Amino acid sequence: MSRPNPKQKFALQSIALLTLGVVSVLVWNVLKKTYLSDVQVLSVARVSDPLPNLFGDIYFFLSISFLGVLLGITCAFYLEEWLPETNWVRCLIEGQVSILSGVPSLLYGLLVVTVFLPYSGAFQRTQGFPPAGDLNTASLQVSSFQGDTTLFYIAVLTFVLLVVPRVIKATQEALRSVPIPIRESAYALGANRWQVLTKHVVPLSLPRVVAGACRAMSCALAVSALFIGIYISGYTIQPGQMSGRFALFLGAALLLSIFSSFLSQRYPLASTRHI
Amino acid sequence: MNTNSDRRSHTAPIIEINDLTVRYGDKPALNGISFDVYKNEILGIIGPAQSGKTTLLKVINRTLEFTAGTTVEGSVKLDGVDVNTVGDVYGLRRKIGMVLPLPVGLPLSIYDNVAFAPRTAGVRAKSELDEIVERCLQQAALWDEVKDRLNTLGTKLSGGQQQRLTIARALSHQPEILCLDEFSIAVDPITTMRIEDVLKELRAEMTILLVTNLVQQAKRLANRTAFMLNGDLVEIDTTDVIFSDSPGSQATYDYVNGTFG
Ligand SMILES: Nc1ncnc2c1ncn2[C@@H]1O[C@H](COP(=O)(O)OP(=O)(O)O)[C@@H](O)[C@H]1O
Ligand SMILES: [Mg+2]
Repeated sequence: MSRPNPKQKFALQSIALLTLGVVSVLVWNVLKKTYLSDVQVLSVARVSDPLPNLFGDIYFFLSISFLGVLLGITCAFYLEEWLPETNWVRCLIEGQVSILSGVPSLLYGLLVVTVFLPYSGAFQRTQGFPPAGDLNTASLQVSSFQGDTTLFYIAVLTFVLLVVPRVIKATQEALRSVPIPIRESAYALGANRWQVLTKHVVPLSLPRVVAGACRAMSCALAVSALFIGIYISGYTIQPGQMSGRFALFLGAALLLSIFSSFLSQRYPLASTRHI
Repeated sequence: MNTNSDRRSHTAPIIEINDLTVRYGDKPALNGISFDVYKNEILGIIGPAQSGKTTLLKVINRTLEFTAGTTVEGSVKLDGVDVNTVGDVYGLRRKIGMVLPLPVGLPLSIYDNVAFAPRTAGVRAKSELDEIVERCLQQAALWDEVKDRLNTLGTKLSGGQQQRLTIARALSHQPEILCLDEFSIAVDPITTMRIEDVLKELRAEMTILLVTNLVQQAKRLANRTAFMLNGDLVEIDTTDVIFSDSPGSQATYDYVNGTFG
């Protein structure tokens, strides 16, 4: 396998830069809000007015997932299409990915609640256990603990661990499912790597890539919903306060997983015919 | 070995293969074979399965490099230029049309299948593309059957039509050499005969490497025939000699007359 030519390198680098740019804007937004508002006031506000928070959370959740998915897909394309199978970076990442993507998503939620939150000191800073709706996975933390950047990083870290490996794995499998004779025929017609990728590999694998991304997001949403659910029954001051959020997350998780199954059924693995 | 009783040696060879050795990992697939291919001939290549015929074609258009762990030694020259050191590998591949055993319909419409190679080579004008598509489909004897539905998916055609579509596609970049790898394996006898007629007409314009599992097909079409066995080139000679009662090697006689293979 030859190395990417300058044009392809440039395209890859611009994708990486773009992703980096979006991440930094997001981080900057959170940093700007740091310690500006009083945590207690906010949590009172959220109890009295849950609706804006609900959409705030979903918005945050979606933007982080979107970035995670984008990062995962880019990473998978790079590993699968550019690095040879024997490259040590590829071996290392693939090893990690196969471990991380095999861990049940529930464990990530437990990891957040039992390790990340206590050790980051999040509970201490908010004096006692957090206000209603905040003991779910870290994905919900930012809008609830508006001022706290550690929680933002916890959320991002959890997503990197939970969503990205799943997306990488699904994307790599989708790319591998593109029949080798199709690639070889396109190359035999004088197409270069970029043309083969954009004209054949991407269109053929796209449904399965999207299906994989939806499945990964569905896992994350489901585990969030579960912790919201546990929290409602255990700690909520005003029962029923969080049920809207619970329903929203659970509903989104279900919808995404159904959509994902639909996609993989509608576009089954292309049959590979060799001679 | 009887490699050079060749009646066309006055024309310059278009492909020169010299001591070509190919291994998949440690497993040899071609053991130092050498021969030339001359302009505007049909060279039939026969031999039982696993004898390295497909590997040979893949070396010529350098698609073998997509299989990991292969080593290629020796030289393959096309128009005097070694394919393994050629600067523009995409240009090299455009000089060669390749037809695989099973038709591989690119996931595109019939029109786009044929227009794919010209487009990758930079042809943009619609009129020019139209003209190429019509010419190639005519040459592959498919035009009359599909001219009203050029925008349907190529994979919707029947097996025999798809194989003719891949031939049209292989012709679309005006190759100097057309390689066919057991094209008739998934094609009914009538379509096979039609494609054979197509090849007879194409002989005037290009050189054809015809790898075939049908010994009689080589006899019908080829000027010269090569017999390969387990990675060795047993014999290459004019088709008359190969199919005579006394070819250069007993193995050739046995294979051609159906004693094994
Ligand atoms: N992708 C591959 N990996 C490993 N060995 C291969 C591969 N393709 C072909 N071979 C081996 O190379 C030899 C020649 O195969 P091939 O060129 O396909 O022969 P033919 O086309 O005459 O049937 C065989 O022994 C086969 O097992
Ligand atoms: Mg073969």
